Amino acid sequence: MRNPVPHPPSSEPGNPAALLTDSSGLDGAPGSGEPSGGAGALRRWRVLVGLFLSLGVALFIAQGLLAKALDSVSTERADRQSFVSLRALEDLVQRAGGSGDAVRAVVDSWKTQLPAGSAVRVVAFSGIRLEASTFPEDVGERAAPRRLSREEKPLYDRGQRLRAAVETNREEGSARKLEVEAEALPDGGRLLSAPVEVEGSVVGMVELATAPLAAPLKPSLPTLLLCWLLPLALCAVASFVVRRQGVLVAVSVVALVVGLGAYGSYSLGTLGAEVRGTQTLVAEQVRAMSERAQAVMAERQLATEPALRPGDWDADAYRRPLGLVSPEGQVNESVVSARMEELRSGVSRAITGLGVAALVVLLFIGLGGVHRTVATVVENRTAYLYIAPAMVGMLVLVFFPFFYGIALSFTDSTLYNAGQPFMNLWVGLRNYVEILGDFNIVKRAQDGSLVFNYLNFYYTLFFTVVWTITNVVLGVTLGLVLALILNVDKLALRPVYRVLLILPWAMPNYITALIWKGMFHQQFGVVNHIIRMFGGQGLSWYDTPFTSFLTVLATNGWLSFPFMMVVSLGALQSIPMELYEAARVDGASRWQQFTAITLPALKPALVPAVILSVVWTFNQFNVIFLVTEGEPSHSTEILITQAYKYAFQLYRHGYAAAYSTIIFGILLLYSMVQNRVSRATEAA
Amino acid sequence: MFSRRDGIPHWPLHVLLVLFTLFALYPILWVISIAFSGRQSLAITTLPESPTALERVRAIIPWPETWSASNFTSVMTEQPFGHWLFNSAVIALGTTVVGVFLACTAAYAFSRFKFVGQRTGMMAFLVSQMFPGTLMLIPLYIILVQWLGLGSSRLGLMIVYATTSIPFSVWMLKGYFDTIPKDLEEAALMEGASVGKIFWTIILPLAKPAVAVTALFSFMTAWNEFILAATFMDQEAMYTAPVGLRFFVGGYSQQWGYFAAGSIIVSIPVVFLFLFLQKYLVSGLTAGSVKG
Repeated sequence: MRNPVPHPPSSEPGNPAALLTDSSGLDGAPGSGEPSGGAGALRRWRVLVGLFLSLGVALFIAQGLLAKALDSVSTERADRQSFVSLRALEDLVQRAGGSGDAVRAVVDSWKTQLPAGSAVRVVAFSGIRLEASTFPEDVGERAAPRRLSREEKPLYDRGQRLRAAVETNREEGSARKLEVEAEALPDGGRLLSAPVEVEGSVVGMVELATAPLAAPLKPSLPTLLLCWLLPLALCAVASFVVRRQGVLVAVSVVALVVGLGAYGSYSLGTLGAEVRGTQTLVAEQVRAMSERAQAVMAERQLATEPALRPGDWDADAYRRPLGLVSPEGQVNESVVSARMEELRSGVSRAITGLGVAALVVLLFIGLGGVHRTVATVVENRTAYLYIAPAMVGMLVLVFFPFFYGIALSFTDSTLYNAGQPFMNLWVGLRNYVEILGDFNIVKRAQDGSLVFNYLNFYYTLFFTVVWTITNVVLGVTLGLVLALILNVDKLALRPVYRVLLILPWAMPNYITALIWKGMFHQQFGVVNHIIRMFGGQGLSWYDTPFTSFLTVLATNGWLSFPFMMVVSLGALQSIPMELYEAARVDGASRWQQFTAITLPALKPALVPAVILSVVWTFNQFNVIFLVTEGEPSHSTEILITQAYKYAFQLYRHGYAAAYSTIIFGILLLYSMVQNRVSRATEAA
Repeated sequence: MFSRRDGIPHWPLHVLLVLFTLFALYPILWVISIAFSGRQSLAITTLPESPTALERVRAIIPWPETWSASNFTSVMTEQPFGHWLFNSAVIALGTTVVGVFLACTAAYAFSRFKFVGQRTGMMAFLVSQMFPGTLMLIPLYIILVQWLGLGSSRLGLMIVYATTSIPFSVWMLKGYFDTIPKDLEEAALMEGASVGKIFWTIILPLAKPAVAVTALFSFMTAWNEFILAATFMDQEAMYTAPVGLRFFVGGYSQQWGYFAAGSIIVSIPVVFLFLFLQKYLVSGLTAGSVKG
């Protein structure tokens, strides 16, 4: 076989290189290229710069995290305070019957205690009415009570959504849908809406618009600088005292830990104070609201039964009490402590993670890793310049997706929660356990008969192996036989046969797959026409696993024999004639000639071809996906099409990623075994 | 078995070969006759209620009842197939240019320089060929569609094809560069030529055959690719030819005439390229795998 793209006889050490790199003896022995004079000072600076950068970046990230946490605490506080007011009002409106004059009177006396900038409104569903409102836009002609206007449809829709949510939750006996909606207002305030229930059915809703939220507490900058610069100063002083590099690095590690630890305890303190302060404020709000509610109830002669339960007003968006505040309006210490404990472990986890990352950076810079890396890059800059464009592309679109895919396999990511942060979806090895630990190959159907569970991983693996082996055997046999025939001397029309037989390989294989799918069509397919021609009945090929398998086998067999034929033909034609002549002189039979000359000559060409076609067939997506589509009931699915279906038809991204990772593992194992075997056979 | 000087009669071999050639050609002939039948049906003729043996034989002979090019004209005018072909052509050409450029520079560095990470880089390229497509598909989808907003765009598909074809191209080109004698470059270096100049004026012209093969290979991969295109292109106007062809016979539509005509239009350039290329492909493929 002519080989226009020859490969050199493997990469012997020092083979093509060393031409354009200057070989002045300074090869890449780590660290040997450093100048020896002033190395001590250089090392000292390295440690200090490392500490400066690693501690700085870690503290900067920690500061950002803290700011975010404080922000969410402050939002939570504002939400919970308004929640208490809203729920208290809801309670009163409920007692007033949900609509009518009593409700207006309640809102009237309620508005005196509303802080400036906030407003409430009550909507009754019967008659689609705005019962009462203190919103600034509802004055004059638009003052309540009145029918809701057309442009206020969103208001009505919100009420109906809340009603539906309450009913759904009641039917299912669980909190599945939010019973309170909260949205941000353009002026920075929040609008909260809650349903009003009278005698078990939702008759309307109350809404509360709050004044703009108070700005959240900002983490203090001086603390940050103190935690950053003080350890650095200590380390700098130490660097003049300590002479040994190892000790200095140890000192810098201690300084890093101290700096980060100090900042960790500062953030825990700030956060804790904010959280505790929130509980006190909410408890105060509960007490104030309950007093006010009692007063309104007495004033307006509302029903006092059942008694008010102010503790329940501090609730989550499903209207489930949080339990942080007792019914009497006192802070519930044990629950708060549990919450603080959770907070503490969260903070310490974040700080530890940051610390480990910072430590790695510090050691990398401090021990000269960066220095050496820069030196290497500078030394080989031409080579790296040439590789960079390809490498950047590979990193972004090949290696990053690969590792991202593996990370994805440890989550239960789906299409619907793709926006959530990674750690929230983390499920560890669950996907793998689910795939590999599922041995239910046979399951019992409803009528008691046993059915194959074609979705089982081991069944699919088994089918994939059967598919690969049968296809490769079929392809090699057909290809070899045809090559042997075409190799016969002086056979007429040989080039014509050769070109025609290669055609199946030349057609794009997705087209081929669709053509064969058409040929196996039950009613119009040519295959069934041929069967009928001989008096048989047309089969519906995709109805049983076996016939379905035959269709893909035929398709892929047709696709793959030309490759094997071309490879074998090339090898056969390179056998020198003299060998056969000599064998014949020695009296060897035809069979002996075949086994002693032809087969050994074929081996070097056929072995790689077989290895290659095993991988191709194992991953032959198009044929299975387009011809059988897994029919009937996923029994002719191979691993790769199954993974695709999990990802893009069931949208279980995490599960599909785990499935694909297992496929990758199988292929890697195969290639390692094959490498070892082929090396062993080469050596023999 | 048969070796080249055996005195066995040739006619049984011819019978076998003719039968096999028929088997190999039958699906292709069948597509051609559907394409020229001027109808959308899978069947070549309409069979009566109780067909005679002759009519049954007629139904499997790939020869349409009437010849008509109407499927070709309407697939190009009434259907957006011309647009899909254009998409495919733009993507395949773009992939070829970008992919070959990236592969050439990288392969040159791998072949001519000795540097830290050389072995690792080549190994990484090799291992990357083992990633199953589906493992890459979800992250690629997230990166391309959700992060970069390149869903249903030619550019996105072009970038993906170009990068994923790099490893194979680099392995092929590096092998060829290794065979180019270094004396030439040394001489040029003595004359004071820069590395860039050597690459452009000496290496690339000498490596023309290998570069051409790599380019054709990149083109064919992009032209024939189906899964990525089907996943990323969800607007009908941005389909590539493979996705569009599937559209004719997937789901509930059964426009086999359009499919057959489109298949022929798509296949002709590929088949010719392929027949021209095949011996290079075989040696490239098997030589690469022996080394791995």
